[in-house]
Amino acid sequence: MTCFLDIRGITKSFGKVAAVSDVSLEIARGEFMTFLGPSGSGKSTTLYMIAGFFDPSAGDIRLEGRSILREPSNRRNIGMVFQRYTLFPHLSVAENVAFPLRVRRRPAAEIARKVEQMLALVRLEGFADRMPAQLSGGQQQRVALARALAYDPPLLLMDEPLSALDKKLREEIQVEIRRIHRETGVTILYVTHDQEEALSLSDRVALFNHGRIEQVGKGRDLYEAPRTRFVAGFVGHSNFLDCTIAAHAGERADIVLPDGSRLPELPIDRQAPVGAAARLMIRPDRLRISSPAGADAPAGIDAVLSDATFIGETFHFALTTAWGGALNVRMPSHTLPPAGHGVGQRVRLSWAPGDARLFAE
Amino acid sequence: MTLSHAAHVPSPARPRRLPAGLAAVTPAFALVAVVFVLPVLALLLRSVLEPEPGLQNYAAFFASTTYLKVLGNTFLVAATVTVATVLLGFPVAWFLAIAPGFWSRLLFAVVILSMWTNLLARTYAWMVLLQRTGLINRTLMNLGLISEPLPLINNLVGVTIGMTYIMLPFMILPLHATIRSIDPSVFQAASLCGASRWQAFTRVMLPLTATGIAAGALMVFVMSLGYFITPALLGGTSNMMLAELIAQLVQSLLDWGLAGAAALVLLVVTLAIYAVQLRFFGFGQARS
Repeated sequence: MTCFLDIRGITKSFGKVAAVSDVSLEIARGEFMTFLGPSGSGKSTTLYMIAGFFDPSAGDIRLEGRSILREPSNRRNIGMVFQRYTLFPHLSVAENVAFPLRVRRRPAAEIARKVEQMLALVRLEGFADRMPAQLSGGQQQRVALARALAYDPPLLLMDEPLSALDKKLREEIQVEIRRIHRETGVTILYVTHDQEEALSLSDRVALFNHGRIEQVGKGRDLYEAPRTRFVAGFVGHSNFLDCTIAAHAGERADIVLPDGSRLPELPIDRQAPVGAAARLMIRPDRLRISSPAGADAPAGIDAVLSDATFIGETFHFALTTAWGGALNVRMPSHTLPPAGHGVGQRVRLSWAPGDARLFAE
Repeated sequence: MTLSHAAHVPSPARPRRLPAGLAAVTPAFALVAVVFVLPVLALLLRSVLEPEPGLQNYAAFFASTTYLKVLGNTFLVAATVTVATVLLGFPVAWFLAIAPGFWSRLLFAVVILSMWTNLLARTYAWMVLLQRTGLINRTLMNLGLISEPLPLINNLVGVTIGMTYIMLPFMILPLHATIRSIDPSVFQAASLCGASRWQAFTRVMLPLTATGIAAGALMVFVMSLGYFITPALLGGTSNMMLAELIAQLVQSLLDWGLAGAAALVLLVVTLAIYAVQLRFFGFGQARS
């Protein structure tokens, strides 16, 4: 992996508050990387430092081996699509796309050709003479994308570009963005707080929290092997149960649940002393429901079914443990017996080894 | 998504009716008619009736090099003041729009307060500053920058300085409103597109603020054309402006006919400029 964009330990403080602290990340040429995280987690601030709108308080950003921090944003040759509609309202669609080429004083013939090519790329042929105010939000963001790519920047930044659009339009443009990424091969840094958007678009996801990166990896890795409790809670749905460490050996620990039942050898995120509080995490789609404890019942947790909802492809079950812990289970409808499970029924919840994880408090 | 588009669709034709609020605005209309429209009409009538019916007053006005020079002075000062208020007011309006709350409010208060302060008091203050032994001349002489006091008062220089100051708020306020309506991320977009600060200013900032500049410039230029107090106090007798001339014709020479002619010339010029403004920028047209 050649390192195309190298973010080295950047920190940004506003007054005494650190919006971004010590973030490091290497991004390969042509990669689609998403910064995911709740609002205020530092993902946009990091993007703005790459764009040149903020100067990092510490650290360095290197593009193709060269530090870009000393260059003003208009010299960085980076494309960007913003959260808000930032088309120039006094210029037509074609003139908006031509803008970066005009300020670069390219020849008129080249500009005309490039504008046509870009409008074809974002499928807005025939809109060249419209004004931005005459376009829908989705169309405006396509024009913004065309404008950001018109000068063939090696790096494209996207700051929640779809957040102002409705769900259907969002999905439609997501498909377009993926197609454009494939066709142009441009490296994309995409910021979003929407985990579905992050998982469906990107090659890799960097999950931000409190100005730091909690975990970087493929979407699947974040879902299957969350390294911290925050990652487990933010990516996908999760059940968390309070428990206590009973024994610790290497990367595994035995725990005791509040009702005194003991579960052996679960993977744990970090060292924790015996007696320390921890949280047991299991995804709702990895829990299996079977008959209540008997001689042949699998190891697991006993609970009472408190609610069952049919959602079409899946059934959602809400369950309560003997000590009042709440759990959710999702199961494909076709795997359930026709009679299903009745509310108030006692059941045993079990899971495959590796589907349960411990996070020390 | 196409809300803004729908706004451009003309509403279906409605039968013409008297607007509902007419009764409420009648007193104001009546007042304007009685104290403004009628006297102006009377003055204009006198310009073609006194001392005898005909256009001799207009002929006299345009035949006199003195009067034409006054007309020229008026345009020169109004144009200079307009340009100066644009150049000085733009940065202030920009600062007002982007400065953090406290500084923006403070500066705004200064602008408004200066507008609320008595005009005569402000003009006398400029007399104190500009006269031969005034603060400016004495400071410059003490610094050794000049040996003789600069002629800053009783001429068009003094009038221009004083009026630029007085007109500044009328440029800053509309300009500020226009600049504030621009989404600042447009400039971030321009910068990332490769535009230098100068390019962002000329290609984005200026076109987007053109309506505000035009509104402010029209206001300042038209107000300056007919301004009286400041030119009367800071100007000299040899270089009058039109309003001073009209006052002199009425008060000293009792030549109401010629004064009416001069007033009509001013009114026609003002309306012509307003028409040009309408043609190019529309009337208070909101930018979508």
